[in-house]
Amino acid sequence: MRVHPLTGLAAAGSTAVITTAAGSWPLSLAVVAGALAVSTVGGTARRLLPAAAAVLVPLSLSLLMVHGLAYPEGRAVLAEWGPARVTTEGLGFALQRGVQVWAAVLALLAFSFSVSVPDLVAALNAKGVRGRFAFVLASTLTLLPAIAAQAARIRTAQEARGLVIRRGLVHRAAAFRLQAVPLVLALVEDAGTRAAALEARGFSSSGPRTSYRTVPDSTAQRLLRAVLLLAAAAAVVLRLWAAAA
Amino acid sequence: MSSPSLTLPSPAPAAARRRRLLEILGALAIAGTYVYLVLNQPADITGGPGSASALIALSGFLVGAILLIVAVLPGLPASTVVLIPVALVLNIVLGQFVGSTLVPFYLDAIGTVLIAVLAGPAAGAATGALSSIVWSFFNPTVLPFAAGAALIGCLAGLAARYGLFRRFYLAPVAGFATGIIGGVVSAPVAAFVFGGTSGVATGAIVSAFRSMGDTLLAAITKQALISDPMDKAIVFTVVAILVYALPRRTWYHFPFVRRHHVLAGKAPGQAAGQDSTPAS
Amino acid sequence: MRLPSSPVLKAGIQSFTFHDGGGPVLERIGVAAAPGTLTAVLGASGSGKTTLGRLLAGWLTPGAGGTLHGYLELDGIRLDFGSGRAEGDGTAHHRGEPRIDPAAWGRRVGFVPQDAAAALSTVRATVAEELAFGLENAGVPRTAMVAAVERTANLLGLTGLLDRHPARLSGGQLRRLAVGCAVISGPAVLVMDEPFASLDAAGARELAALVRHLVASGTAVVILSQVIDRLLLAADQWLVLDAGTVAAAGDPADLGPDTGLVPAGIRWVGEAARAAQPTALAIRQTATAARVASTGNTEVPATTDTAAASRDSGGAGAALELRDVSFSYSSDGSRTRYKGRLLARSRKAGAAPRQPLVLAGINLAVHPGEIVAVTGPNGAGKSTLLRHLNGLLRPATGSVLVDGSDIAGRAVGETAAGVGLLFQHPRDQLFERTLLREVRFGLDRMVGPAQAGERAAAALAAVGLEGAAHGHPAELSASGQRLLALATVLARKPSIIALDEPTVALDGDGLAVLDAAVRSAAAEGAAVVLVTHDLDYAQTAAHRLVAFDGGRLTDC
Repeated sequence: MRVHPLTGLAAAGSTAVITTAAGSWPLSLAVVAGALAVSTVGGTARRLLPAAAAVLVPLSLSLLMVHGLAYPEGRAVLAEWGPARVTTEGLGFALQRGVQVWAAVLALLAFSFSVSVPDLVAALNAKGVRGRFAFVLASTLTLLPAIAAQAARIRTAQEARGLVIRRGLVHRAAAFRLQAVPLVLALVEDAGTRAAALEARGFSSSGPRTSYRTVPDSTAQRLLRAVLLLAAAAAVVLRLWAAAA
Repeated sequence: MSSPSLTLPSPAPAAARRRRLLEILGALAIAGTYVYLVLNQPADITGGPGSASALIALSGFLVGAILLIVAVLPGLPASTVVLIPVALVLNIVLGQFVGSTLVPFYLDAIGTVLIAVLAGPAAGAATGALSSIVWSFFNPTVLPFAAGAALIGCLAGLAARYGLFRRFYLAPVAGFATGIIGGVVSAPVAAFVFGGTSGVATGAIVSAFRSMGDTLLAAITKQALISDPMDKAIVFTVVAILVYALPRRTWYHFPFVRRHHVLAGKAPGQAAGQDSTPAS
Repeated sequence: MRLPSSPVLKAGIQSFTFHDGGGPVLERIGVAAAPGTLTAVLGASGSGKTTLGRLLAGWLTPGAGGTLHGYLELDGIRLDFGSGRAEGDGTAHHRGEPRIDPAAWGRRVGFVPQDAAAALSTVRATVAEELAFGLENAGVPRTAMVAAVERTANLLGLTGLLDRHPARLSGGQLRRLAVGCAVISGPAVLVMDEPFASLDAAGARELAALVRHLVASGTAVVILSQVIDRLLLAADQWLVLDAGTVAAAGDPADLGPDTGLVPAGIRWVGEAARAAQPTALAIRQTATAARVASTGNTEVPATTDTAAASRDSGGAGAALELRDVSFSYSSDGSRTRYKGRLLARSRKAGAAPRQPLVLAGINLAVHPGEIVAVTGPNGAGKSTLLRHLNGLLRPATGSVLVDGSDIAGRAVGETAAGVGLLFQHPRDQLFERTLLREVRFGLDRMVGPAQAGERAAAALAAVGLEGAAHGHPAELSASGQRLLALATVLARKPSIIALDEPTVALDGDGLAVLDAAVRSAAAEGAAVVLVTHDLDYAQTAAHRLVAFDGGRLTDC
């Protein structure tokens, strides 16, 4: 049975929420392992790992630097250089928080790297907010490579006019302006054409909509989604209740 | 003739009222969350990993941002909706690039501010929030900053609405002020959700303040006050350069630019008496 | 009910003004399109035909898009705009002024813009879903939708491409998809903006057959064009626009070239040129011959025998020489690398076949003063060839010599001083606030400020844009932008001028200016290479023709 994109989203989202609510590092580590296993089985690990590393490596380094070197609340000092104090509490806090963020990030990335965007868009296809949100999401993902290619085309066209990008911040900033102006101008113009085209094809019409692409769904999956959302909500309520008590 | 009417009915005021209500609720959720976090923060950080605060920061800001999107997005004209993905691409491409370098800036709001200047505060706020949500597709850590990004978009739109983009030198000033507010509001997210910052350069600054004995929230707020105003001043200046490089015909396609005389230059039509400020 | 001959779409436009504070862009225009007829709206670049087409199709709605005084009538329903009212400031909404519902209008009137890619939704992952987008929004049941997609794909020859991502289509396929999106709802009227621009002969033939089919099946087709070809000669009526108003209208037979009613900015091409304008073509050919003779007198080697000699002598003294140049895009393809990668996450990414050679052992020598045309169908790699001339692309094997020295290892920006390359899309190349700044860009560093100003002014004058020197480049017509890009090239006085598809986006006047400017540059000693799919143009413009196909050059 195929996983409905909204089921995947509910699973990833509630996992992230529950892990954050629980705040327990064994659970976080289990979620990290689970997310990696899911993406390995799904064959997306090769694309997921670089993306995850790009986010998590600087964040983890930053956490270690902030709490590893300076944690005024810490008592058990391990080492001290001038103002920097390495404390057990600080390192513990950094690791605990780091693993928690790792779990949430990997769970969500495992979803976004495995979901079929056209299916997700079809599942969201409706009028009003959902339809427009689906449009913004899908259009951004389509335009990202197209605009990168367009920027490259503009750069070559300008090089052909004798633009030589020299080293140094000022030169780069000047070159950025020269390239950004035609890019933004073309993008705004194209967007105007696209807006007219979409309007003529009923983008803003208020009536009911149908979908050409069929995304299989089942009662079991609908039920599962409801359970996942309830579990996430329950985890949040329990945590806040425990904090208040 | 079996075909339906070729013309649109007048817009219903009830829908507009409902959307206004949602906008206010969204703004209240964000403001309320911020106030709660600032009042309750000292007990939390020393008491171990404060996931209750993390949850409140996450849910309060996210709910506020989503309410804003729900309020604004259906009412925007297609010409603005179509520009939002373009703005998000500009945000992501430039933000991803700068975020990976060792500069304590983000420059991840150029697209948002551009939309805000061309289409107004509501469109700017929706673009900011959507930017964080869509970007979280590749980088989930930006998701909790949706409210802060919406605020930046809204403030940029207000700056444009009240003529701060009419003089070139006012744009960085407006950006600086926007950065102060945006940085202060986003700091609790960094403090409570992540317990730090997402970049090494910003982390070093936080670490320095912490070693002087600041609380985590205070340290991150101070770091934000160093980075964000400069960052937003740069972003606003870049956007001002871009819009003034565009031909007038392109600006004047946007009703917001026409109605509020957002940019310096001859007003179209000239007969207009309702423009509050004459051209330079 | 309506008689079959009564018009389904009518417009009476007293004036139409954009909200940019400018004057009216359209004035005193009446147009009516009847079912089963073909209407040609002809006009040079900037004559207002696109604005008219968008107004007719509901893509430019009165009120939001500009101020219209006049009426639009569709299916017998007449909508009056701005009647008897004082001029507003453009933002004020007239009470009681009708607001067009673009979706309802769009179901009855389809529009295909010149840039077909901009008409796509960008949110559908296959051609089939893109076609269905409008039907989805109208709430058409899925079974009816599938049938409509199949029928439309059949009509347009897209059946084999239904599962392909729209970003992976060629230019001609993209144009057909845009037509499909416009006609799938079965509109009574189809408006097409420059549908034949940048299509090669095969693509144009297919599209013309499609237009004839639509007309025969009862659609009122309106084609906006700056070029008169065989299809438009057979139109039921012409509406000739000049500077936003009607210059002439009526039966094509009454508007022949000898009547002088069609402005010179509108070009006659192909069979239209041969059938309707034999005299004009003859004049052009004699002019070419005379010019060849005159350049021969001024000792610039440009005749066919010198060209033959250059082939024998291996290009000694050539301004530009390509020696055995081969090139292919690598298998992960810099050409296709970005397209739709995020959406079409292919599982067989590693299994892409080895790319064939785009250039396979090219030898070409172009001498000072010589104009060489490289012709070939779309997609043959003509632009790839051109990009080797200034180092934007580097040959896999072989070498490119400019003025006798190899350009390998030199930055493109440096080679550009000697090689002026004019791209197909001028807006990529323009970035300054005014025309004058645009042309002066980089000149100061080359020749010093005093001479830079002189050269910039001269270059602008050479393309007839001196009057607009302080305007914004983006506010020029498409033809004007192309000429401005040409001026930026001419101002540098390069020894080699390379032109990519010069006939695209240029109207008749623009092409005449380009021809004159290129010839005078050649007469001053520049070597000119132009690539084009337009064989007629190549024959009149060049001293020497080279055919390019399958990665090889053959002399014609």
